[in-house]
Amino acid sequence: MVAQSELIKEARENGMDLLPLDKDTYELFFGPQHMATENFSIILKMDGHRVVEAIANPGFLHRGFEKLAEFRPWHTNVALLLRVCVPESDVPETIYSMAVDEIIGWEVPERAQWIRTTVLEMARVSSYLFWIMGLSFKLGVYTAGQWAAAYRERLMALFEQLTGARVYHIYTIPGGVRRDIPSDRWLHQLKDTVEYIKSKLPDFDHLVFENYITFKRMEGIGVMNKKFALSEGVTGPNLRATGVPYDVRRADPYLLYPELDFEVPVLNEGDALARALIRRFELEQDLYILEQLLDMGPPSGPYQVSDPRLKNLPRFKVPAGDAFSHVESTKGDFGAYVVSDGKNKPYRVQIRGPSIAHGIRVLEHLLVGSRIADVPVILMSLDNCPPDIDR
Amino acid sequence: MEEIEFKIAPESKIKKKPSYIKPWLGLKYLFKKPVTIKIPHEKTQIAKKYRGFHTLDWKKCVGCNFCGQICPARAIEMTWLEVDGKMEKRPHPKIDYGRCTFCQFCVDVCPTGALRFIESFILTSEWEEDTIQLFDWVPIHPEKFRKLQESYNDWRFPVEKIEFNKETKEVVYHLRDGEVFKFKILGYGIRPPKKQKGGTDSKPD
Repeated sequence: MVAQSELIKEARENGMDLLPLDKDTYELFFGPQHMATENFSIILKMDGHRVVEAIANPGFLHRGFEKLAEFRPWHTNVALLLRVCVPESDVPETIYSMAVDEIIGWEVPERAQWIRTTVLEMARVSSYLFWIMGLSFKLGVYTAGQWAAAYRERLMALFEQLTGARVYHIYTIPGGVRRDIPSDRWLHQLKDTVEYIKSKLPDFDHLVFENYITFKRMEGIGVMNKKFALSEGVTGPNLRATGVPYDVRRADPYLLYPELDFEVPVLNEGDALARALIRRFELEQDLYILEQLLDMGPPSGPYQVSDPRLKNLPRFKVPAGDAFSHVESTKGDFGAYVVSDGKNKPYRVQIRGPSIAHGIRVLEHLLVGSRIADVPVILMSLDNCPPDIDR
Repeated sequence: MEEIEFKIAPESKIKKKPSYIKPWLGLKYLFKKPVTIKIPHEKTQIAKKYRGFHTLDWKKCVGCNFCGQICPARAIEMTWLEVDGKMEKRPHPKIDYGRCTFCQFCVDVCPTGALRFIESFILTSEWEEDTIQLFDWVPIHPEKFRKLQESYNDWRFPVEKIEFNKETKEVVYHLRDGEVFKFKILGYGIRPPKKQKGGTDSKPD
């Protein structure tokens, strides 16, 4: 047996002593069992109920996707990479498929592009509803969270009909999508669902976004300024809350977005409330985009490219080359860089996740000085995705 | 980089004002029907093409191992089988639901359409040895599966019990309607097993 003092000494010599504690402070392990953190943990050094120092402790979901992707055939990787972001699994599917399409030089049919755009927007709406659920649970407004879960269920049922699964859709593949739209009835159902959620938005406003408790809890906490956000590479709603109008759908349009009309909400405050309100407003914009897509209607034609090589999927080879593609997810700028060396497996797949930018260093910075009760709120207002951080 | 035209929402549209009264408007939901359903007294609606368990038409299967090659979770193993004393001419896929991710790429690549899927999806196990064995199986014929699904209509696994004799490699499926289906595993892999009498071991390739 080694004496404990020796162990402590050895840990200190190797720089493993987590937080030097003095008389007035104590150490608090926040998560991963805590409901607010979702497979993510923060080690807090507390002075009373104030956070003195925070250390993000990720890694509970590390599965090594990027390395695993080098050992699987091209199409099969879709079933693997979508696990990078669970609440909106269509985003990793789409970026990977778009990058592979670019390497091969496939022109994806218009119908497939329409379906991809619709699926992405549906994923955004369901992800925002999921986020409203999380936020309201953390604020103590449980009712609104349960409504959000119930409305998300409608989108899940639509996903189930379209793709055959509820959460992990495995739907967008290189060259198009796997299945056609089941029927016109599905389109009507989607239209009804969009209208239904839109009619329920005022209820969310009444209960969460116009509630004085929300304003008291969120105003002025976790303030991030423009310069800091840009230097850390923060994207998405978190960046737009600091006054930078950057949206991939506008800055580098993909799929059908150049034809669509929508606004990019921007606020200057940079606090938790601004981030929450931006997400609320984007949800409205996404529903508006879905309405436009449904008015446009799916173009007729094939939903997949026709290529004789697709009949032999396990040995399907992609010519040597590389491509980068990115889309705007609810967390931020989600990108994939794919390199091929001409074999039936990718040489390298690199994912640029948005959560790692605002989930580690920014979070550690924002938590300093906040109260213990605000920690879950700041965490939720940043909306990080732990599987994306760990990958 | 060229200038991008952004259509930015005006701040007045985004800002919301706090209210003391509006939160109470949620009370109207007290008088509405709940959205939850009472399982098992009510049933969930499953989409027609829900990606559930596999079915296999043993006569159509040509044993090409495309399904085994495409499987991202490596859940599929080709198995040589003997039914009623006759060896099947080609190997058939054995699917391990402990590994399967239900992506159904195996169904997409199947060149003859032998491997299909059905919307049944309920995987339950008491975590005992004989119940775990249930979920490593060679799928049964689609028509039989469909018949069982339609008669019970509860999306459960069609086999109640699988008996596996480790010495003789004999497998017995006890289907839910009482039917018994027997076959024998001769070996694993793409290459046919060496012919030996008495059903001795043949190691996987």
